[in-house]
Amino acid sequence: MASITLEHVTKEYRLGKLVTLKDSLGNALRSLRGHAPRARKTFRALEDVSFELQPGEVVGVIGHNGAGKSTLLKVISRIVTPTSGRVEVNGRIAPLIEVGAGLIGDLTGRENIYVNAAILGVSRAEIEAKLDEIIAFSELEEFIDTPVKRYSSGMQVRLGFSIATSVESEILIIDEVLAVGDLAFQRKCFDRTEELIKRQGRTVLIVSHNVRQIERLCSRAILMDHGHIVRDGNPTEVCSEFIEQNNERIARQHAASVASLTRAQTSGELEVASVELLDDAGNVLESTATNDPLNVRLTFKCHAALVKPEIIVGFHTTDFIYLIQLSNAHLDTRPDLAVGLNQVTCRLPRLPLAPGVFCVRVLVLDAKRRSVFSQDMLKVFDVRAPADIPAARIPQIGFVYADAEWQSVAMRGADTPV
Amino acid sequence: MLGMIRNVFRYRELLAVLVWKNIAVRYKQAYLGILWAILKPLMLMLIFTLVRAFVGIDSGDIPYPVLTFAALLPWTFFQESVLDSTNSVVTNAHLIRKIYFPRELFPITALLTKLVELAISFLILGGLMAWYEVVPTAQVLWVPVLVLYTLVTALSVALAGAAINVYYRDMGQAFPIVLSLLMYASPVIYPLSLVKDKLLTQQAAGDWSDMLYLLYTLNPMTGIIDAFQSVLLRGVEPDFAVMWPGLVCVCALLPCSYWLFKSAEAHFADVI
Repeated sequence: MASITLEHVTKEYRLGKLVTLKDSLGNALRSLRGHAPRARKTFRALEDVSFELQPGEVVGVIGHNGAGKSTLLKVISRIVTPTSGRVEVNGRIAPLIEVGAGLIGDLTGRENIYVNAAILGVSRAEIEAKLDEIIAFSELEEFIDTPVKRYSSGMQVRLGFSIATSVESEILIIDEVLAVGDLAFQRKCFDRTEELIKRQGRTVLIVSHNVRQIERLCSRAILMDHGHIVRDGNPTEVCSEFIEQNNERIARQHAASVASLTRAQTSGELEVASVELLDDAGNVLESTATNDPLNVRLTFKCHAALVKPEIIVGFHTTDFIYLIQLSNAHLDTRPDLAVGLNQVTCRLPRLPLAPGVFCVRVLVLDAKRRSVFSQDMLKVFDVRAPADIPAARIPQIGFVYADAEWQSVAMRGADTPV
Repeated sequence: MLGMIRNVFRYRELLAVLVWKNIAVRYKQAYLGILWAILKPLMLMLIFTLVRAFVGIDSGDIPYPVLTFAALLPWTFFQESVLDSTNSVVTNAHLIRKIYFPRELFPITALLTKLVELAISFLILGGLMAWYEVVPTAQVLWVPVLVLYTLVTALSVALAGAAINVYYRDMGQAFPIVLSLLMYASPVIYPLSLVKDKLLTQQAAGDWSDMLYLLYTLNPMTGIIDAFQSVLLRGVEPDFAVMWPGLVCVCALLPCSYWLFKSAEAHFADVI
């Protein structure tokens, strides 16, 4: 028997403002007079979603914001009733949705453990048995009889997390894999969550934006988009597809967001007319590959002449981690920029970026190292895996790629029998 | 209806914790603590007694303060539990959006919380009865039955109120007004015997008198308040002639109210 069965589940929300009694009466009057009531637009948070979860499966749900992930969890945990379709759940569900939501400021930590655990469906005997463990895990022994409103926010989430993860149930639902508090406690949270997830026989449903974690923890992944299940299957494949989708999306959004996100800081003497990426044959590129040669051609429009300016071309990730800066400062022969259009090309013989999406930034300093121009995200481009190495063999962690040579020699050490 | 009783039993531990939480939170930082709960009926009793000194209400051979306090007990319980349960679903919105358990637990929790306060008020009534030397008889054994009936009456209003309040907050505003008016239409300030005398004996409203009296007793609180006074102070059985119209009213209201709550429940998390 399946743990969770969903059959053609659809959840529709009506858009627009809250209905007041006045509106409802107005609509009632209208329908009494034979007119149609004012209709409101609807929005489908879930559309025709069907799947089955077998006992013991650990399933990750991924997708963009608004893809319907949280609605799906709410439908399964009975918080929200689907507009149509059937949901069947066999076993006790423990939701781990938003830690510390039910903490009450006026009660002490200990009292909150009783209330919150009872709300999560833990029986009194079970709470008594686990009380010490919960307090110990939260590291709040000293403060447990102090009202929670006097706690720091970190202490509150620690308490909330300890209570939420003490619930025993056949089905565990986790919205966002939780890591709260300082670094040391975050480590504990991760370990605890993973221990919960991997404990035998439990059915687990996780929603997370941490795709790597889903890939590592789950035996199956579901990718959602606009209320539909787009892909359901092997976590590695589903996650790769999601990452690809994400990268495309970032590239698409770039044009719209670049103006607001990264305004150029300029002294007015110079502006960048264009940034182009070219291969060695002079073809303009939108994407390139790791280890390929890359030319970055900058076209400057100068309003004043600049004597031996320093020009810097940098690469950064879409979340603004600066990776590489290429500067011409060490060149004594660097050119002057004349009034009007000037073209400067920077060539990398082997691009040292790992596959992913990257951005170009440009800085110009005058001879006295005064900043004349700087702007991030002038260009967004995609780096593919090099042709001679399959994508799956490229390490997934890190942004920079370097060639390496490997050697291995069998050693005859002291403890090895000769 | 059976489902609700089953849920109450199944979630009895949660109910107990929630009731305890309500009381703990409400009175935690108050110096007088739960004594505040009985201050309201006590103050009203003093005011009524003062007013009576001017207008003169015949309370028979029972001292007026005791008589009116015995009426204020069920009335305050009814009024406050209806108001609290009407708001109970909305004030617990954060839980409704996060977790599922049968939603009727919220209004029921509010009712049970008020029950604890009612128990304390009974102690005060005991004190008053001792002071005025009113001796209770074996009829006080009716009290648990009457309290249960009051509870069911409150529930029959509160379930519908709580459900409608989620959709239209007008309910939370309208109920206090309606209920404070209803107090004057219940024998709280004056004893029922006055109304009975005016309408049934003197036929003060002409042909309409019997009709009006029926309408008056259709309010379940009329029968309840009179019954409380009868069993506690007069030492006689509850008067079923006064109670049956109200009982019919509650029996009709409760299933409707429950049905309304249950059908609205599915969308609480969407609308709240």
